[in-house]
Amino acid sequence: MTLFKRLIDWIDVRIGARQLAKEELVDYLLPANINFWYSMGSILLFIFVMQVVTGILLLIYYVPDADKAFRSVTFIMNDVPFGWLIRMCHAVGSNMMVLVLLLHMFSVLFMGSYKSPRELNWVTGFILLTLVQGISLTGYLLPWSQLSFWATTVATNSVSAIPAVGQYLVEFLRGGKLVGPPTLGRFFALHVAVIPLTIAAVVGLHLFLLERIGVSTPPFGLKETKNPWRPDGFRYEDHPGGIPFFPNYALQDLTSISIYLACFLGVVFFDPYLFFPKDAFLPANAFQTPAHIKPEWYFLANYQTLKIFPNEFIGLAVQGAAMTFLALLPFIDRGPEKHPLKRPVFMICAIGGILLWIGLGIWGHYS
Amino acid sequence: MENVGRRKFLGLCLGGVATGALAALIYPLYRYLAPRPVESSAGKVVIPLNDVPEGEAKFFEFAGASAVLVKKRGGELVALSAVCTHLGCIVQWEKDKQEFLCPCHGGLYTADGTVISGPPPKPLPKLPFTVANETITIG
Repeated sequence: MTLFKRLIDWIDVRIGARQLAKEELVDYLLPANINFWYSMGSILLFIFVMQVVTGILLLIYYVPDADKAFRSVTFIMNDVPFGWLIRMCHAVGSNMMVLVLLLHMFSVLFMGSYKSPRELNWVTGFILLTLVQGISLTGYLLPWSQLSFWATTVATNSVSAIPAVGQYLVEFLRGGKLVGPPTLGRFFALHVAVIPLTIAAVVGLHLFLLERIGVSTPPFGLKETKNPWRPDGFRYEDHPGGIPFFPNYALQDLTSISIYLACFLGVVFFDPYLFFPKDAFLPANAFQTPAHIKPEWYFLANYQTLKIFPNEFIGLAVQGAAMTFLALLPFIDRGPEKHPLKRPVFMICAIGGILLWIGLGIWGHYS
Repeated sequence: MENVGRRKFLGLCLGGVATGALAALIYPLYRYLAPRPVESSAGKVVIPLNDVPEGEAKFFEFAGASAVLVKKRGGELVALSAVCTHLGCIVQWEKDKQEFLCPCHGGLYTADGTVISGPPPKPLPKLPFTVANETITIG
């Protein structure tokens, strides 16, 4: 203990570590009525780190070659000690990441945290959502299974609905007319380098904005629930009399991460193939399309939307419009009220939108 | 006093759980990264006698490392590890001189693996072999 204290002292006299920790952790006050939902971001950060670590571990044995990829994944699953655990953590983690991201987004929506001056927090968060969808899609191809191959074929093909340049865009995405070895090379580079680095950078920006603007006050348990912000100049939103981040909210973050880990490990150990249909266990065959190929659960609504419109372009345009609306929400919903029960129109639209998304997903699953 | 004891007990429990969790994390990680055992045909390599002409050497893989079989002028056979005992480079057979040369730092060995000159601290380890029915079995 003395040695540890001496080490801390050694660092402290050089960089003022104790003062920094006091200012940034202990004296960093959060709203007194802060709740569990504010820890979703910490869970997401934890999942992202887990995905990076398990991804790097998988890179040790995975071979990004169309002739060897499936065999290398089978090798990881069957022959490498605990390879199944690393891969399952990565695969289940990717699904959980989307789920927690959606919960984070819903909490921000319902508590009105996207409102001024936090438009940029929302926009960077929305960019992160699309990047996570992108990293999931590109990672889906890497095992080079029947599911990977045909899900990627269907997903990339939907881009062809864009007038004039659609067909060229599909070929550009695939690196050829059909999904094949060049697609694997492209998706591998995107999945392990381009998208993770971009996510890390945008997460950095998202956290910078959080730190710079200050944590939003939840609208619950307050008399005045209107947004007090005025566009007359920059003001950091502080919370005098609030609770310290460390140790109080850090403990809440730790509790939330532990609850997440319990759910996550529950799936990994008790239902590891929850997200794996049987086509995920067959090697890719470019000459045999399996029946009823479906995308991952979070793309089912998009898949069904494309199917219900008679014209694929209209389906794509509707999705584009919905995504644009969501991305620009803070610039559209500019009312000062933050409490969800005092925003009936918003509540009807939000719950209706979520139910529609779930409904389309279920329809897509059973169609 | 009772509170201090309770706090200490809870601290110990928490420390125990954390240590257990850490072990549960490190053990699979270590097993995942640990080198896999080398798969070889019961540790033996069979080479036809005619494959090694007199005065020449044949390199092969033995137990996951490089090895060499030399038929010296006169017909005597020698099986050696081909890994230089200096810094682990693979020695090269100098047919003209009937010596092994390590190209990394100039270590020289005789055809029997004895150090002639240079930095190698030890001779090349000898490998056991048998000759029967026109074949050489190493290992």
